[in-house]
Amino acid sequence: MSRKLTVVLLAMLVLVGAMSLKTVVVTHGDGSVVMANGGAPQPPIPWKNGGAPQPPIPWKNGGAPQPPIPWK
Amino acid sequence: MLGPYEYVIWVICTLLEASVVVCALRKNAFGRYFLLNFYMATSVVASIGRYKFLHSFGLNSREYIYFYYYSDALLTVFLYFALSSLYSHVFSELKADRYFRMGTILLLSGTALFSYGVVQQSSAKLVTHFVVELSQNLYFVGLVLTYILWAAVLKMRETRTRLIQLVLSLGVYFSLFAANYAVQNLYRTRGSFFETLTPLFGCFLPMAWAYAFWRIPESARIVPSRLAVVPR
Repeated sequence: MSRKLTVVLLAMLVLVGAMSLKTVVVTHGDGSVVMANGGAPQPPIPWKNGGAPQPPIPWKNGGAPQPPIPWK
Repeated sequence: MLGPYEYVIWVICTLLEASVVVCALRKNAFGRYFLLNFYMATSVVASIGRYKFLHSFGLNSREYIYFYYYSDALLTVFLYFALSSLYSHVFSELKADRYFRMGTILLLSGTALFSYGVVQQSSAKLVTHFVVELSQNLYFVGLVLTYILWAAVLKMRETRTRLIQLVLSLGVYFSLFAANYAVQNLYRTRGSFFETLTPLFGCFLPMAWAYAFWRIPESARIVPSRLAVVPR
């Protein structure tokens, strides 16, 4: 039982370490992704088609200031 | 628009990947390092598929974009399993295969859950977000696992030259991409230069593995003291 728990602990430690490393590396990134398989040319990421500026989110119509939320 | 440089590097990379499988078959190492060869063979198939999609639809087409990122996620999962098989080789004397398998599946499930947790807010293209996020996270998990394996090889004074070559080249490969990505973000004005290096680095792993299978026999041993000086 203790061996299984050790495996779980080690797996979680590796995951935490990897995600911390990713956070450090990607924090100052421009949203691009690290691709490391093969030599094929990398296309733009699927939700970033083209270089056009991102439009405002659909539920934010107009430039009026946002009111406080009703249940507060 | 792709230039001759991109095509030449891509063709060289694909040929090197195929040569890994050929070298392993010629030297009777295909079965012993099956998951490594399976990853390389799948990478060749993915390259051919990517060329087909690129040629038919273009670089910015939805078809190529989706095929590229979905195949990349699949390849990263296969690379992760190939890496776990290297763990089995290095720790073969411990007879702990069951625990390594359990750890591998657990870590993969944990990474998938974490990736889902990150992207679950995205209502649109959830699956695609998940696939790319999983690929990224597995890449960093692979990076950490390779360094741990590297340390284990040093600590356990592993002597099998071919195995050491396979592990070290994987570590250098991951490090090259991580360093290139970091430098690319540090010097964004010269980002295009570093972008051109990315496919070039992709050739490193198949080249190193093909060399390991072709030139280094399974029976070759290296003197442990040449790897690291361990104070006593």
